[in-house]
Amino acid sequence: MADLALGSAPKERSFADKIWGKIVGLSRRSPTSIIGFVIILFFGLLALLAPLLMPYDPIAANPNLILQGPSAEHWFGTDGNGMDVLSRVIFGSRYAFGIAIPVVIIALALGIPIGLYSGYKGGNIDEAIMRVVDAFRVFPSIILALAVVAAAGPSLLNVVLVIGILDAPIFVRVVRAEVLALRSSSFVESGLIVGNPTWRILFVHLLPNAIQGAMAQTAVRAAWAVRISATLAFLGIGIQPPTPEWGAMIRQGAEFMVNGQWWVGIFPGVALILMVLGFNMFGDGLQDLLDPKRRSGGK
Amino acid sequence: MLLRRLVLAIPLLIGILFFTFMLIRLGGQDPVGLLAGPTATTEEIEIVRAELGLDKPLFTQFWLFLGNVVQGDIGKSWISNRSVTLDILERIPITLELLLWGVALGSVIGVPVGLRAAFRHDKWFDHISRGISLLGFSIPTYFLALLLLFIFFFLLGWSPPGMGRISLLISPPPTVTGSYLIDGLLAWDFSVARSALAQLILPVIAVAIISAAPIVKHTRAIALEVISSDFVRFARASGLSSDKVSRIVLKNSSTPVTTFIGTELTGLVGSVSLIEFVFAWGGVGQYGLNAIIRGDFAAVQGYVLFLALFSLVVFIIVDLLVLILEPRAVAE
Repeated sequence: MADLALGSAPKERSFADKIWGKIVGLSRRSPTSIIGFVIILFFGLLALLAPLLMPYDPIAANPNLILQGPSAEHWFGTDGNGMDVLSRVIFGSRYAFGIAIPVVIIALALGIPIGLYSGYKGGNIDEAIMRVVDAFRVFPSIILALAVVAAAGPSLLNVVLVIGILDAPIFVRVVRAEVLALRSSSFVESGLIVGNPTWRILFVHLLPNAIQGAMAQTAVRAAWAVRISATLAFLGIGIQPPTPEWGAMIRQGAEFMVNGQWWVGIFPGVALILMVLGFNMFGDGLQDLLDPKRRSGGK
Repeated sequence: MLLRRLVLAIPLLIGILFFTFMLIRLGGQDPVGLLAGPTATTEEIEIVRAELGLDKPLFTQFWLFLGNVVQGDIGKSWISNRSVTLDILERIPITLELLLWGVALGSVIGVPVGLRAAFRHDKWFDHISRGISLLGFSIPTYFLALLLLFIFFFLLGWSPPGMGRISLLISPPPTVTGSYLIDGLLAWDFSVARSALAQLILPVIAVAIISAAPIVKHTRAIALEVISSDFVRFARASGLSSDKVSRIVLKNSSTPVTTFIGTELTGLVGSVSLIEFVFAWGGVGQYGLNAIIRGDFAAVQGYVLFLALFSLVVFIIVDLLVLILEPRAVAE
């Protein structure tokens, strides 16, 4: 019977097999990326199912229950407003994804076209764009993000826009480097000879071939976005307490930590580390898999 | 090479200054209202505005500002009412003390670990060091600082509270270098030096951890590339001992690793400000963060200018180091 099953349905299963084979291959090559993926999945479920999982309202203050330690009723204790820390940590995952995903999309949407154009055109335009990109690279991104968000005013939208824009130069660099290598290849030349306009060469011919490096970066950039948005909130610029955002919660917990009421700050901090770690681990494997340079350098 | 770097830096510096100038001028915060106080009349506010030169067109303001900066005058902090240039100059050694010890410790740990990981590629040491360095990448700087304080001050009681650079009960030593540790030793005052050292340990460990993670990652990548190069393969094929081969790898990795640590310094000076913030360290970083949070225009300008000049100086030093490590580069 086993023989029959194998013999009769190889085509039906081939697609699933392919995917499964990829996962097995990836887990063998880079077990860390699978762990990272599981962590992201965990927080993803947490964010999706937050209303079902939260034992309490994350922003319901209870003056009778201020700074209670972890207990059977409040697993992660309560904070200085008497809000349930566990519920707040669970809800915080929504902010983390809600920032990371649009930030990466904005950065890709800005970085890819500029990188394509810069690499394809070359010359003075390319030179000027690269100078700006270099300036971004040299200057500490945390300070830049802080200064711009402080000037623009602290709102969730501003945080997402600023971090997204600041992240674009990374994608510009990666895409440009790939376009430079492809620019004089025969498929671009033949595309030109047939009479394709520049935008078609860029987005139809070059883009699919130049996008791998950028895709490899996405998970690591998501990690960065989660980290830096939490940093802004920690400093009181950006998302404000009592919003259940992890950085803002760490800010609230910082003053209690040295008095021994550690649970207010430590739990959101651990959640933050885990989620950033998940993205970084997954991204590490992704880079190995997609980045041709790392692939050849690795073995 | 150096001259070219300096000449290229000038438009970059002006660009950075222009960017921050416009950013804070166009931003939402208006310091005049803050300065004049809530009871000020409209005329009084206009007088303050004129005194600060804020009534002129933006480009005129920038031009005047640039002229002052060239003369070393960034303006006055609108909070402390002191010269920003002086404020920053006296805080630079305080930040450098923390940053340099931290990065030195981070390199002493990170470079050997990265090299060993490369030599043991795909062995358990490689995997474990990679995992730990990923963890280092993932810990938010300020949370690491808080965690260190919680563990070593609150739980274990080994460290003094994270409040500044010296115990409040001890008067600081006479200023020579600006580092309390070194000044205390110079003044032959060991209680001062001891207190300064005790305050220094935790923040330095925090900087070291933050800096070591990328150092491990890049040293490993650089060494791996050297190991897979043709000349190393040739050296192996020629039957050189693995000791000699390792030495060739080390020698050829030293330049890119030095360059990397240099570039890392320019980014770290930003992360260090968060560590200063948590430990109330009182250096340029904390000053800059506070300036940004409170919208202290001139101080933010000064901090940004400091960061830009700092990276410029670091790049020049790295260039010089590369010249020493690799005399070939002189010819280029």
